[in-house]
Order: sequence, then structure tokens, then C-alpha cells
Amino acid sequence: MELIIFLYFDPGLGAMIVQAIVAAVAGFLLFSKNLLYKVKLFFGMVKYDNDELFDDIDVEDSETEAKENGENK
Amino acid sequence: MVRTNNQLPSSFRDPSGYIFNDNGIIKRRIFPVYFEQYKALKSQNVFNKLFDLGLLIEHEELFENDSEMVIQPKQIPFITYPYEWCFNQYKEAALLTLKLQKYCLEHNFSLKDASAFNVTFYKGKAIFIDTLSFDFYQENQPWRGYKQFITHFLGPLLLAYYHGAQSLKLVSNFIDGIPLKMLSSMLPLKSKLNPFLYSNIHLLAKFEDKHNEDYVGKSKVASLSKKAQFNIIDSLYDYIKKLTLKENSEWGNYYSKTNYADDAFLQKSNSINKWVNKIEAKRLIDVGGNDGAFVRQIQRNVEIALVCDIDNNAVDSNYKSIKLNKESNIIPFVLDVLNPSSSIGFNNEERDSFVDRVKKFAPDVTLALALIHHISLSGNIPFKMSANFFASFSQYLIIEFPKRDDSWVERLLNNKGEFKDYFEFYNIENFELSYSENFEILEKKSIVNSKRVMYLLKNKNDK
Repeated sequence: MELIIFLYFDPGLGAMIVQAIVAAVAGFLLFSKNLLYKVKLFFGMVKYDNDELFDDIDVEDSETEAKENGENK
Repeated sequence: MVRTNNQLPSSFRDPSGYIFNDNGIIKRRIFPVYFEQYKALKSQNVFNKLFDLGLLIEHEELFENDSEMVIQPKQIPFITYPYEWCFNQYKEAALLTLKLQKYCLEHNFSLKDASAFNVTFYKGKAIFIDTLSFDFYQENQPWRGYKQFITHFLGPLLLAYYHGAQSLKLVSNFIDGIPLKMLSSMLPLKSKLNPFLYSNIHLLAKFEDKHNEDYVGKSKVASLSKKAQFNIIDSLYDYIKKLTLKENSEWGNYYSKTNYADDAFLQKSNSINKWVNKIEAKRLIDVGGNDGAFVRQIQRNVEIALVCDIDNNAVDSNYKSIKLNKESNIIPFVLDVLNPSSSIGFNNEERDSFVDRVKKFAPDVTLALALIHHISLSGNIPFKMSANFFASFSQYLIIEFPKRDDSWVERLLNNKGEFKDYFEFYNIENFELSYSENFEILEKKSIVNSKRVMYLLKNKNDK
């Protein structure tokens, strides 16, 4: 497996190193967000917004399959 | 590395291959250095899944031997650039890039860059157009596109959030993203108290500054687990998804605010409808098209309608309608007709100017509604020059002329104060005279309850 190593742009050494810290902060934020969500869920305070323009980040493999099945019907 | 004359000037950075123009058809040549990646993406069905999900532009293989491979992507009729997107378009492009990177990581690939120019809008949604951006994921390697993502996406979005949507135009001056130091200095002090912004912007800027001069630094290898990289991507996605503009849509209810009586609106859209049908238009552009209200009134299957406006909020409102109605034939973008996007980049050829792109697009008809008084009176553009402009790319022109006693025109003229007399030229006779040099007047119709006249004009230099 050979990577395109002769990279045509500079990813930035600082940017490569700082990602460890960014990830730690992100991990903490995601953890507290999930915790808050669970607390809200427990107290029935979660609102669902159906008018959202944008969907979630996860592209489930099943999403494609569902679409394929839908088209075959 | 063989390069040919028809290679597009926008495509030279990536050694994996390049885009070229083969008699008007856009194709992509791939070099052996990328064969392994390409074949892995294909055999592991990554390409097919991304095509099905509409995240990546589809392509077909045309030709392959030991030294090159040629693929033909689906042709996009009109490319819009990041500095022409409204806020929510920009947001969608950012989210698409993150979504792709997450999908890649899950399948042991990684985006090797995160340029905003890898994305454009087609069939009502953002789509990734750089098929060669995918590389193998290397265990514990941080994301090489991270810095680019911040300078190309998060940075401009934050500037729009703090300083208004017009900041998005800055990207046209910084083709490789907003410089980090400048970005950090432009965010308010309180952003340093936000751990997300502090780490992604301020700390990043500091680290980049510190390691900037570190020429032997390559020996220091940064490492990052995949889980940690997922955290970065997820938190970027969460943050950007929630980001909304503070400003209220100034033009949101434009048509209830302006001086149109309802029947005037109807009459105007009836004329447009009749004429667009008469000339059997398939491709059109509405210059100053606001939120696309008139284009939506057209009772004809127009293949592609470009709708541009100077106001980011109007374009945003158009974009939201496209999303909610799932419309696929409208391409909205932000454009100042008095200063349309120029060609930029190396040798001024990397990104085409608006005029070049619209000439290639060659619309059957151009709509210029409630526009000429702004061009002539706010922009001081003589009739002859605006007529030349429209005639340079369009076969037919549907143009609305508000007469001198129209309330908007009166307002614009009064703004001129003592120089009002210099604008004596602004009258319907002069308009017809000047436009007749380039156009033949086919039809003319006054709109009831208004001081406005609609024209259907035909280009005299018919192609």
C-alpha cells in the first residue's frame, strides 16, 4: 500500500501536532453533550426538530441498501 | 508526467491526475501513482456507495492502459465557487466534506485534502467533485486535510457568523483559505473562552506559527488514534450544523414589502411565462433573481435555471426553498452584477470568471427584472454598457424597465441630490434606443398598477 507521499500541499506540522489536543477537547465536549442529552432524555426534555435542513454525519451502509430496496419495489 | 494543452488550469496541484477538456466534455486522466487507490476504492464499493448516496460525482471509465486511465465524470452545467455561495450552501459543503471524511475513515481511507473547491452544487445539493481526493488511511496518522478544512470551511463560516455573510466573499482573495493568524485575530476575544473555538482556531494558529520556521521538524512525527480523529470530525460537524446567522433575512418577505400590487406580480409572471414558452427556453439565468420567486412561477420544464442575487440572505432563502421542495433544476448563487466574480489563481486561470462561465453555459434567455434601475442609477452604468453585457451571453433577454416616476427610481434619483440632473438619460426612449443596437424588440408590455414596462428582446447577433 503506497500513499501519495509527495504531498502537493503542506498539511502544516503545527496542525498535525495540535490535533491531539483538539481531539481531547472534542472528546470532552462530545462526552458532556451525550451526558446532557441523557439527562434531558431522562426528564423528557428532548425536542425533536423535523424541519432541519441538514442530516447527521453518519452515512449508514443500510441507508444505501434501503434506497436500493425501495427502488426495486 | 505527460500534460496536454487542453488540461484545465484549475487542475495542476494533484500529481495523481488532472482534468482536461475534450471537445467540450470534461474528463479526468489518472496516472499510475493513483491506480492502487483507485482500484481499492472501486473494488471495495466505496465509489458506488458514494454515488448512490449522491455525495460524490458519478463517473464512467473510458480508457485504461499501463500508463494512464481516463474517466468521464457526469457533466455539471454550471460550476459555482465557494465565494459565490450563501451561508447555508457553505455550511452544506462543509458538512459534506466532514461526512465524506468520516465515511472514508470507517472504510480505511482518508481525504488527502479538504479544499472548498472540491465541492460544488448540482441538482439541488452539494456534491464532491474531486474523485482523486481519496487516499489510504495510514494507522495513527492525523488528518492531513485538517488545517485546510479550518481555513477553507470553519474559518469563513465563523467570520460570517461574527461579521455577517458578506465575509464569505473574502475567500475569493484567499484561494487557499483564510490565513490562520488573521482568522484568529478577527474572532472576538470571547471566542477564546469557548473550548471548541480555542482549540480549533486560536491554538491551531499558535501551533502553526510556532512550527512555521521549523524546517528540520519533519523528524517529529505527530500521531493520532482513529478514535481521536473521529472525535475531531464529529465535534466539527456538531458545531457547524448548529451554526446560524444572527442577521435577519432582509429580503425574506421581499415581495410583500415592495411596491407590487398582487395583480402586477401576476401580470409580470404571466408575461415571463408566455415568453419563456414562446422561445422554448431550456436554460435560463435570472440576474438579480432574489429568492427565485419568478423562476418558480414559470410553467415550463426549464432544464437549468441559474438564479443569482447580490443579497446573501435572498440566495439563502432561495436555497432553503430548493431544499424543502426538493427542486433539482435551480442553481442559486451570490453575485454582484456590478462586480461579478473575476478569474483568479495562478496566471489568473485557476477559477473562471462569472462572464466566462455564463458564456459557456449560454442561456437561452436572461431575466433581468427590477434590475436596470439599480445598474444604471446605483452603479452609474450607461445603457449601452449593460446592453453589451447582456448581449455577450444571452440569445433572448426579458427585461423590466421601471420608468422615471416609479417609486424606487424616484428614491434612487433623489439620493443623487443635486446631481439628479446628470441622470436625465434615464428614460424609456433612451433605454429603447440604446438596447436596440444589440437587441430587436419583439414584445413590449406595460404592467398595470405600476410604472413598469416588460420587454422581450432578441439578440441581433444570433448564434
